[in-house]
Order: sequence, then structure tokens, then C-alpha cells
Amino acid sequence: MTVAALDAPPPVREHRPRAEQSRRAWRAARVTALAEFYQWGRLASSLSMLVARCALTYWLWRALYRSTSSSAGLDVHQATTYAMLGVFYVSFRNVNRWAGRDTMTQHMLEGTIAYWFLRPVTPRRYYCIRACGDLSYGACWATLAFTFCLSTGVIAPPASTAAGLSALATMAFGLVILYYLQQLIDLACFWTVVNFQLVIMYEIVQNVLAGALIPLWFMPGWFVSFDGWLPFQGTLNIPLSLYIGRSPVSGLGRELAVQSCWIAALAVLTTLMWRRAAARVTVLGG
Amino acid sequence: MSIDGTIVAEGLTKVFHTTARKRGRLSAVRSVLRPERVAKTAVDGVTFRVEPGELVAFLGPNGAGKSTTIKMLTGILTPTSGQVHVNGLIPYKERIANARLVGAVFGQRSQLWWDLPARDSLSVLADIHGVGPELLRERIARFDRILELSSFWDTRARQLSLGQRVRCDLAAALIHDPAVLYLDEPTIGMDVVVKEQVREFLRDQVEQRGRTVVLTTHDMTEVERLAERVVLINHGRIAYDGDLENLRRTHAAALHSEADLEDVMRAAFGVGAALAAEDAAEGRAGDAAAEDTAEAVAGAA
Repeated sequence: MTVAALDAPPPVREHRPRAEQSRRAWRAARVTALAEFYQWGRLASSLSMLVARCALTYWLWRALYRSTSSSAGLDVHQATTYAMLGVFYVSFRNVNRWAGRDTMTQHMLEGTIAYWFLRPVTPRRYYCIRACGDLSYGACWATLAFTFCLSTGVIAPPASTAAGLSALATMAFGLVILYYLQQLIDLACFWTVVNFQLVIMYEIVQNVLAGALIPLWFMPGWFVSFDGWLPFQGTLNIPLSLYIGRSPVSGLGRELAVQSCWIAALAVLTTLMWRRAAARVTVLGG
Repeated sequence: MSIDGTIVAEGLTKVFHTTARKRGRLSAVRSVLRPERVAKTAVDGVTFRVEPGELVAFLGPNGAGKSTTIKMLTGILTPTSGQVHVNGLIPYKERIANARLVGAVFGQRSQLWWDLPARDSLSVLADIHGVGPELLRERIARFDRILELSSFWDTRARQLSLGQRVRCDLAAALIHDPAVLYLDEPTIGMDVVVKEQVREFLRDQVEQRGRTVVLTTHDMTEVERLAERVVLINHGRIAYDGDLENLRRTHAAALHSEADLEDVMRAAFGVGAALAAEDAAEGRAGDAAAEDTAEAVAGAA
């Protein structure tokens, strides 16, 4: 074989400002969306899953309210809207990385986590970039579904403009809490290598305590009080309650303060965990 | 700081702690209740220096400590004791600065995204490394000249053959033009044609681009074709550090005995003809014998 490149000039090193290089790294956020768009089958299954979940949720809550006009202080429109918004909200987190061998557990098991430590972007930042990409992709689906359902009257508009804006603000904070909670579960891989059981347990706990499966006002008082001490309510119940007008907008400041405290605590915890993880990273196999 | 690619390791040691399984009745329960921690020294006081533009091959049997040494050089693993400097940086402490300097391919572990065409993976990696589109195009074109990536770079990584994937991984490791390249058994499982293509590429990277290359391999043919210097590692220690010719002279007896032993085995068990024919057909005869020889030499040393 002949070496065509033997006459090539010596390598030219690029001198880009560090800030620009750093900004460029954010383009890695597109990986999940690109992977989905390259596979129409997967895209179609995401769409059909969202449609099926929306339709089933809508019919379920309509059926539940057939014999009554109000339950736990909510009418059928409020309850259906809450449940449907819950479905959209959950779809933020429904991006499937497993099929692409791109979950933290898979990287740990296959040893490809090593490459995360060989990039000029810290593993923590790379994780954040990818999570933002996934979130944006999920948000596109959720926004499409929301717009469609709102325009067809399946869900009600926010109780007021202030309620809508408050819901949006608490939702943004809630997503940050979700991001940190997910990160805690993923970081556990550095100690446990696999986290399958932890992921399943977390999803059940998160969906129940956040009110994604059953709205929290149907739960007993002690349960709601106990849940109040945990970060989960802030991820779903609070923004949706503000949207449908069950929680007053006047409580927005308190809700944001509680969410901020959780964000700060989880940020500190994950930062410490990343530091420990970086010191104890092992790559399985030779 | 100038980028030269010098690697210095002094007394590099890595001890892994694992939990030993107890024996006897209710061993599983006792192992959980009172786990017994066992220390395993994977690398034991390794000292060497690699000059800029040098290609060094780490040889040794499985579990000798080659890969662990490379992982400490890259900064992925933190040494238990000893020091390592790559171009003046301590890799495990200055990971970001170090990442700009080094590239790596770990055997069959790919850094390509499974569901993306290889070209998209390279583009994303270029973004992560802050490489602009013009330089990316230029570099990919250069890699393509030897590695012939264009014939499969629109295929998703999950559909690539092993040889195609490793060639893409080589390009991925060099997308940011690092001064140092670490390769952990890069040609394992490849056919002869692809192996030769990869060797050609590595020769080009060292001779024309001036990169420092450290590779681990079991493949003596690879060593013969590429490396002037070999570091033989066994039981975590350096058994030999020098040129290949001297290694041959020093351990000529061991090499001979291995060749003789092989002949005896083939004659005695009557599998020689079939095996030889298979080797010849796949063009692996030299590689297979040489691989065994490398392990025998490491054992003898």
C-alpha cells in the first residue's frame, strides 16, 4: 500500500479562543435528536407512544368523572388538564438512550466511560450538555402535544396569565430538580457499576411522589405532609397545580424558594459526587 | 508551554482493592456480612521515559499491567503512588489540559455514538474538542487518504464492522490533532488487510506528523513493523525496555524453544496441517506464532 499522505505538510494547530471552543462543545447536545431523526421507526414509536398516552389519560379521567361533577374540589376540566399536562411533562424525560448504548450504566459496563475523561470538557459538563439536549428534544414533543390539545379543547388554558407564567417558572425550576435527581441515580454507577434497580425504584417513587400517576390531592393528609419534605412535589405537582388554579399565584415566591433550596442542595451533592467519582473511576476489563 | 509529547513515568504503581469471595459454608452470606478486602497490585513501580515522536510498544501477557499503565498515562486512572508527567502535565490532576494533548483508542471500546453515522460522530467530537468545520474537513480528508473512511462513514456505528469502527475510532482520537496517541490493542480481531492499513496510518502519524505513540499489543508482527523500542511488562513490572533486536538476542533461547515447542505440538497432536492451512488462508501464521512468542518471552523474562 502506498502512503498518499507522506508528502502532506506538518499538522496545523488551530488557535481558537477557549471561550469559542467552550461554546462549540454545546453542539454535542444534538446527539439524541440526531440519533432519533436517523431512525424513522424510533421517531414513529415516540409519536405513537405520546398519542396513546394522551388518549388513554383523557378517556380515563373523563370516565372517572362521568358520575360526578366535582371531586376533591376539582371539576372534570381541571382534573383532565392536570393529568394531560402530567403526560406531557413526563415525556420530557422519556428520551430513550438505552437503545443507543448511551446511558451511564452502559458506559460503565462497557468501559467507554474512559473517553468522558479524555475530552476537554469535564464529564460533569458533558453530562449537563447532553441532558439539556435531551430536555430540549423532549420539550419539542411536549410543546407540540400541548399546542394540539389546547387548540382542540382537550385541555383547558391556564387559570390566568399569572397562573400560566407561574407554572412556567416553577416548571423550569422543577426540571432542574429532575436533572439533579437523575444525575444522582446515574452517578451511583461509579460505586455500584449497575443501577438498574435504582432506576426502576426512582421512576416509581418519582411518579408517585410528584403526583404524575395520581394527583396528590387524592392522597391522605399524612402522605402529602411527608411528601412536602421531599423534592418531588416541586417537579410536577406544584407547576401543574398553579396552572389549573388549584394553588394560588400568591404562593409563588414560597414555592420558588423551596425549589431553589432543593436545587442548591442537590447541586452541592452532585458536585461532591462527581469529584469522588473522578477519583475512583475504574474501567472494567483490560 | 510548547507541545512536544514527552512522557515520563517514575515508580508508577496502581493497586486495586477488590472483595475476595470466601470459601466454605454460607460463603456468599459471609462475604456480604464481613467482606474481605484484597489488594491486587496491577502496576508495580514502573519507570520509563518516552521521547517526542517516538513509537513505543508495550508487550506482555494478559493481565500484565499494560492497559492499567496506559490508563494512568492518559489520566483516567489515578496512580496509587509514583509520578507521571505528559508534556509537563500531571494527567490525572490536569485532565482538561491533558485532554487537549492526548488521544486514545481502547481496543474494541468505541467512542462513536452507536446510532449516528460515523461522520456525524466525528463532527460531534470535533465540536467537543473545539475544532472548527474547516479544520475538521481537512483532517478527515487526510485520514481518509490512508484509512479509506469515506466508503463507510455514512453508515451508523452499530452497522460498521470491527475494522471499520476501529479506523473511525482512530480518526476520532486524532480529530483534535493531539501530540500523544495511546492505543490499547488497536488491531485486536482485525483481518490482515485492515491491520496493515492501520499500521500504515500509525507509521504516517509518527514519521510525518511527529506524534508520540504508545501502544499495547500482543501482535509481534505489529511490533516488528512499527516499533523500534519495546517495553516488556510482566506482573506489573518492566521486564525489558529497549530495542527489538536486543530483545531478540537476549531471549533468543526462549524464542527458539517456543518455535520448537510449537513444531512438537503440531507433530504430536496432528493438528498442525489444519491449523497451518487456516493460518495461511487468513494470513495470520506469522501473527499467531508471534503472539504466542511474545507471551512466552514475557514469561521467560
